[in-house]
Amino acid sequence: MAGQSSGGAIYFAILGIVTTAFGLADLLVTVSGSEFAYGGLEIPGDLFRGGWGGIIVLFAGLFYLSGIRNFDDIHQFAKVAMGSILIWVVAGSDIFAMISESIPSWNEETGPWFNTLPGFIGAYAPPYAPAVLLLPFSLVVIYYIRKRASGEVGGGNSP
Amino acid sequence: MKLSTGDRWDLIDKISKETVTFGAYKHTLKDAIGELTVKPMTGIPVAIAIMYGFWSMFGSFAGFFTDGFFVRLFDAYWLPWLQEVFPGQGGWLYAIMVDAGGIESGEFVLSSNCLESFGVLTSGLFVAIGVVLPAIIIFYLMLALLEDIGYMPRLAVLLDTVLHRVGLHGYAIVPTILSLGCNVPGVTATRILETKKQRFIMMTLLAIFIPCGAQIGIMQDVVPDLMGWILLYLIIGYFIFGYILNKIVPGKAPEFLIDVPPYRRPMPSNIGKKVGGRVRGFFMIAIPFVLIGCALVGILYQLGVIQFLGDMLAPVFVGWFGVPAETAGPLIAAFLRKDLAVAQLSVIEMTKYQMITAVVLVSIYFPCVATFAMMLKEGWKELLGSLAVLTVVVFAYGGLIHLIGKLLGVA
Repeated sequence: MAGQSSGGAIYFAILGIVTTAFGLADLLVTVSGSEFAYGGLEIPGDLFRGGWGGIIVLFAGLFYLSGIRNFDDIHQFAKVAMGSILIWVVAGSDIFAMISESIPSWNEETGPWFNTLPGFIGAYAPPYAPAVLLLPFSLVVIYYIRKRASGEVGGGNSP
Repeated sequence: MKLSTGDRWDLIDKISKETVTFGAYKHTLKDAIGELTVKPMTGIPVAIAIMYGFWSMFGSFAGFFTDGFFVRLFDAYWLPWLQEVFPGQGGWLYAIMVDAGGIESGEFVLSSNCLESFGVLTSGLFVAIGVVLPAIIIFYLMLALLEDIGYMPRLAVLLDTVLHRVGLHGYAIVPTILSLGCNVPGVTATRILETKKQRFIMMTLLAIFIPCGAQIGIMQDVVPDLMGWILLYLIIGYFIFGYILNKIVPGKAPEFLIDVPPYRRPMPSNIGKKVGGRVRGFFMIAIPFVLIGCALVGILYQLGVIQFLGDMLAPVFVGWFGVPAETAGPLIAAFLRKDLAVAQLSVIEMTKYQMITAVVLVSIYFPCVATFAMMLKEGWKELLGSLAVLTVVVFAYGGLIHLIGKLLGVA
């Protein structure tokens, strides 16, 4: 049990460091005023997604890092869960934007109303924003929530 | 038999011992997350994230329907069809109902899109259905979701200290956010505030600094890059003038007690009812005002009233606010339709800063007719007071924005 908890703490410590780094990178790229792309990663340079979104990703990282100490305590674990929730908000918004952009054809005058199949699928192709890349890793928190709910990890208040 | 105070307490103790079971309460994850969202250190980042999600969803959803489908439907099909079949091209009825058009080389030229035609059946319907409806639906959907989850009372607690600085309390966030959908229910919701002073401050701030869903929808459509700056100016103005009003308006601003409910899974039926009711209410109150307002703007343009007022006030707009003389007409028309006024501004050539100033002026300039009527219903003294404040705010804040631009070298 303790092994699982320390495993969780180590996992979220690493995720926290990566998330914080992504948040800082988001803000730096926004301040520089240009976009940054490398492989499957794209950091938006606009004030809304890069700036505002970057601040949230940074907060998510800080939530993870502040929650890993005494990981079994419900209040500490709540911070880790909150870190994941913040990533879900940003990534969810990005994915919703992708879906919204993938369906219409965006033709103003003539042509089909809806996107072609290749165009539709292409809208979901990489590169992705940091929050979207972090999304699958943040979902691990659900495993720990379920463990806690089923009583496998010592729940409740720590003394 | 008459019991003394001590006897009563003894009796209460006895009853509670027999009926209440005491035990150690274990905090659940929901409780712990609930606590995190009301503590400023952790709650403010969460609030920032919620607002991000709110606006991102708003932009994507409204953009999907408006830019993805309605712009094409109205501009490529509806407008050309109406321009062709409506009789009396170039006449005053045609101008009011379909297309005011323009004159090029002495000839009447038809508009190419519904934002420029300014007819009741074109611009009026496009704004009401193509722009405002998607914006309002997603806005009320998100708001209902936050209410149903149980986040709104937490936001109220979180913002209580800040809102006390402007003479209000945490619950003032409810009319404020409702007004972002439509100012009319926002004004009605000021009744949840306890004192006359609070209601007056709230109503005045709503009428001046909170743009409605129609205006936000249009801004999102025609000046999306400047939205952040425009909203920033409005938020700063909300707090500056709220602070001043709190100092000069007599009366009390009491504390508030609130029962923060636990987080709950949202119920689709609840959300459906809330969104349905609010959208229906919006349709009943605001949509007729959009169409009537559009018609009145058209009539006033045809009679030359707006041109006359615009010419008369142009020196003030140019000299004091630093916006081009052509903006005088839309700014006058903003009394009837702020959304249409923003659309009119978008086709005038001006610098980015002038556009920000002009759109902020449209927002703070005057409450729309529907809000005006609602404020009158709340009391004519309050309405007159609000209008007096508004006049001062328009000149002071509009001039200040111009001054800031001059100091920064962008105006």
